[in-house]
Amino acid sequence: MSEISMTLLLLLVLFVLLGSGIWVAFSLLGVGLIGMALFTDAPLGEVLATTVWGASNSWSLAALPLFVWMGEILFRSRLSEDMFAGLSPWLTHLPGRLLHVNILGSGIFAAVSGSSAATAATIGKMSIPELGKRGYPQSMIIGTLAGSATLGLLIPPSIILIVYGVATEQSIARLFIGGVLPGLLLIVMFMGYVVIWSMLHAGEIPGGEEKVPFGEKVKRSRRLIPVILLITGVIGSIYSGIASPTDAAAVGVALSLVLSKFTGTLNRQTFLAGLLGATKTSCMIAFILAGAAFLTVAMAFTGIPSMLASWIAALNLSHYALLGALTIFFVILGCFLDGISVVVLTTSVIMPMVEQAGIDPFWFGIFVVIVVEMSQITPPVGFNLFVIQGLTGLDILRVAYAAVPFFLLLLIALALIVVFPSIVTLLPDMMGG
Amino acid sequence: MDANLETAQNTSVVRRNLERLYLVSGWLAATCIGLICLLVLIQVSLNAIDRISGLLTGTAIGLTIPSYADFTGFFLAAASFLALAYTLRQGEHIRVTLFLSHCRPKVQHLLDVWGLLMAGGVTLYFSWYTFLLVRESYLYHDLSPGMIAVPIWIPQSAMLLGLIVLAIALIDGLVSTILNGSASVNTEATEHPPCQK
Repeated sequence: MSEISMTLLLLLVLFVLLGSGIWVAFSLLGVGLIGMALFTDAPLGEVLATTVWGASNSWSLAALPLFVWMGEILFRSRLSEDMFAGLSPWLTHLPGRLLHVNILGSGIFAAVSGSSAATAATIGKMSIPELGKRGYPQSMIIGTLAGSATLGLLIPPSIILIVYGVATEQSIARLFIGGVLPGLLLIVMFMGYVVIWSMLHAGEIPGGEEKVPFGEKVKRSRRLIPVILLITGVIGSIYSGIASPTDAAAVGVALSLVLSKFTGTLNRQTFLAGLLGATKTSCMIAFILAGAAFLTVAMAFTGIPSMLASWIAALNLSHYALLGALTIFFVILGCFLDGISVVVLTTSVIMPMVEQAGIDPFWFGIFVVIVVEMSQITPPVGFNLFVIQGLTGLDILRVAYAAVPFFLLLLIALALIVVFPSIVTLLPDMMGG
Repeated sequence: MDANLETAQNTSVVRRNLERLYLVSGWLAATCIGLICLLVLIQVSLNAIDRISGLLTGTAIGLTIPSYADFTGFFLAAASFLALAYTLRQGEHIRVTLFLSHCRPKVQHLLDVWGLLMAGGVTLYFSWYTFLLVRESYLYHDLSPGMIAVPIWIPQSAMLLGLIVLAIALIDGLVSTILNGSASVNTEATEHPPCQK
């Protein structure tokens, strides 16, 4: 059987397994098993058990449950109320006023949580009813929320960057720091878009916010100070090299517990619910990673990835053409699959091709994450859309339509990091440790 | 006693014990994650003490938990595998429900059976080879490479245990799906809890 038909056959098997509703982790294991059984003589079961054991007991992967737990604790705290009360008095002079609460709030929550759906839920819980009550245009409320909540994936700590780092043996600390500047760039772009839109549609932004004196503004935002300290502590310690991401995550969990103790949201029930929630989420992700680790090894046995790599090399594509093609491929894939599955499929099959083309695998991690951010707001499968649909009761296509400008802004950001890769690599190159 | 009633009671006893099994292994996993956090925190505090004493006296004491990175990894593997069955029962393993949700109920039911069969088969196969791996580690006295050399079969057994409980949960789901016409595994996974993805 030729290698092309081999690839097509396995791709078909994967889509049949996924499409028929089989759990992602089992689909990955299934394709790996079928591929190895059909095309190699390798000892299937032994390779399966050894690979998965090797991939599952890992020091750096231990950052995953801890960061998930930290997000769970803060999700159950008063953070969303504090965020709205603390941010809104500062933003009343900017065109677009309180719409910026969605963007900045998401940016801040993204820096304590690794998930974009959690960011959308936490910020939207408060901002959707409050902004709606004040008469802000609905499409802008849900658009800004859907778009900026995707920052949860890019701004560290990021679950998906941990997944990418573990799957490709890249330094998670470097990936985290690499996400900082692109994340800030996106915040600026989103805010800039809201400012311009609001100047063009000045009549649609309600005024009438009370004038708050400076001292009162500071007083209202004092509850945000511990969170800001938590963020600078976690990111700063990783950047300076004092702490590994796993260390920083454990300290982050402890500080979040202290924080929610002081704000009175920590009790036996919320503690246990947070821990159990983190256990389930991290189990789900670790199992997908285990499936992906096996798929990677199985694919290497079949020789498909290196075959694809030399095939791409023979085409002599420019970087831009290759990245363009991959973007289109990922966006389509992202319409049907969740972000983590897109990332692990990439790392098991496409990585050799990317390295062959001379693309820096570290930079490529940030690239993939921004593409995955775009997939969070594309129907029919986009987790931010699901969350906002749940919060507002609006039709998913309506939410997706409101998010289109932010999808395009993400696309522009993607083009910017392709043209200026130093947006990604600048900070990591200056890191300590 | 009525024979039917007796069987119903027996199944409910079995049901209760199965649910307890999934829950207990879920809590064991959660405990492992708590332990990871505690272990890393102690190590971070020791590092901090070390650094401070280094600044004060000029020499670091070199406080450290031996092999703590190894232990963290073992707890993580135990947590990931022991939680598998509980996570499955809670409907939190990701699957693509896009096409499934557009099928007629009868087709959906068939696809559920097919999914549980496939997953159950893979898990049994996986468990068997993990058993062989654990046995081999035990027979050859394989040790972990760190300062404290742990017989590697001990942490590997947690993986085996988790896989066996998962296999039980999948078979349980398969039997209930075939008997009741609907899965006891939560197939309403389209409802995504906000903290997860």
